[in-house]
Amino acid sequence: MHIFLLYIDPGSGSYLVQVIIAAVLGGAFWIKKFWRKIRSVFTTLFAVLFTRRKKEQ
Amino acid sequence: MTGSRPHPASFRDPAGFVFTVDGMIYRQVNKWYSFRYDYLHQCGLYERLTGQGLMVPYTEGPPDLALSGDAYKILSPLQIRHISYPSEWCPEQLKDAALLTLKVQRIAMENGMGLKDATPLNIQFLNGQPILIDTLSLDLYEPKKPWIAYRQFCECFLFPLYIHRYARTGTGKIAAAWPDGIPVGETARLLPFKSRWSMGAWLHVFLQRRVTSRKSPVDERHLTFSKAKLNNLLAHLQSTIGGLKVSSGSPSSWSNYYDETILGKDYLAAKQRLFRQFLDTIEFADALDLGCNDGLFSKILAESGKPVIAIDSDWQCIDKLYRSHSRHILPLCIDLANPTPATGFRNAERTSFTDRAASDLVTALALIHHLTLANNIPMSLIAEYMNQLAKKYLIVEYVPLSDPKANDLITRRQSRVVGYDPEQFEMAFGRDFQIEKKDPIAGSERVLYLLKKRTL
Repeated sequence: MHIFLLYIDPGSGSYLVQVIIAAVLGGAFWIKKFWRKIRSVFTTLFAVLFTRRKKEQ
Repeated sequence: MTGSRPHPASFRDPAGFVFTVDGMIYRQVNKWYSFRYDYLHQCGLYERLTGQGLMVPYTEGPPDLALSGDAYKILSPLQIRHISYPSEWCPEQLKDAALLTLKVQRIAMENGMGLKDATPLNIQFLNGQPILIDTLSLDLYEPKKPWIAYRQFCECFLFPLYIHRYARTGTGKIAAAWPDGIPVGETARLLPFKSRWSMGAWLHVFLQRRVTSRKSPVDERHLTFSKAKLNNLLAHLQSTIGGLKVSSGSPSSWSNYYDETILGKDYLAAKQRLFRQFLDTIEFADALDLGCNDGLFSKILAESGKPVIAIDSDWQCIDKLYRSHSRHILPLCIDLANPTPATGFRNAERTSFTDRAASDLVTALALIHHLTLANNIPMSLIAEYMNQLAKKYLIVEYVPLSDPKANDLITRRQSRVVGYDPEQFEMAFGRDFQIEKKDPIAGSERVLYLLKKRTL
């Protein structure tokens, strides 16, 4: 008898879970990036306001 | 070919198998793998992996050693003196083996290849570092496919590390109970609720359990997965495992033995002095330190540059010794009262500790009283086992019943201890060994013996 199978069984659902995990990781990456952007908008805004107020004083 | 036989664990992979000729390990590469073998060399991956010490190097051996007609190449790999198994590793060793597997996979992907399996049995320890020994695990990378070995990697590496991270069980017993890896369902049941707050555990354990236990499985053959996504997944596994705190924050009853609970500094200094004097008088090619604790005496043995196997049943001690990065020491978690049995198909795939451990010099310091008084093993049987393990010499410490440590072991026992005295000790060991040196250890009532096999 000669058996010619994949050397190991990847396991049912193992490919799908990798796809989902990659999507979650990708999502987390974009949220992080987006959050950083929002934060930088507010920090620059506050920095501008703060320096303007200081100048007025 | 006389004396050549296939390795009893090497029969699953159509790409080839390992065989031995007069005790030397060879690997036959079958024609089925020929294209991959040539590619491995042409793409420069072999050079990269062996150059960085990640994979065991080999030379091409004589073709007439081939055991079957479909042989493409015969490889003669660098011989690894001491083979060990995941059930004998401390958590830090399993963690390093996991990180090595991921590193090899990522480097291989850069060269258009990848690992087709991810079992810790493909890894051994050489000069204190993990190294991939199974060349034939490297297969061509299939573009747009997820990692075929992901599930096996999780079950064999990630899940035991997670269970250990929360339960502090060590990883060896998990590997012994589930030699092919612990399934995701069992892992999810064993992990505490708080583990769900960990992103890694949530994704790789709880999410995986949910997806793999679906009643109507999805046809996964058409799922596509870019190389960048696979790289992200591997990078996440690397950072998750790299960040797992597997060493113990709190000491075990043994891990600070030398610092806190030993009889006194005088005793330890005197014992080291005597030990070195004994070593100066003997020749040995390798050594086995039984009950090594955190390896104080294993390190003295290793000063000679000879390979040393250092065993202790306490994973925290072995973790500590492994983290000291001693090149010549292979630290392993083994309980001498219950050493690793022969396992796998036909009980032949993985050999017993006893069959692997025999060394020129065996040392058993402050150990015999534990085996006798705590494990109820008669002195004669211990001496017989030492004779099996030692090829030339035995350095053994006798701890009398009056010693505070021996006394601790018997105070809770109701019955009287019979047959534990210096005469019985010398009689038991005298059957197979002769006394070369015998010196009392200052600062205690203990005695250090240098014994030589009578058969020498």
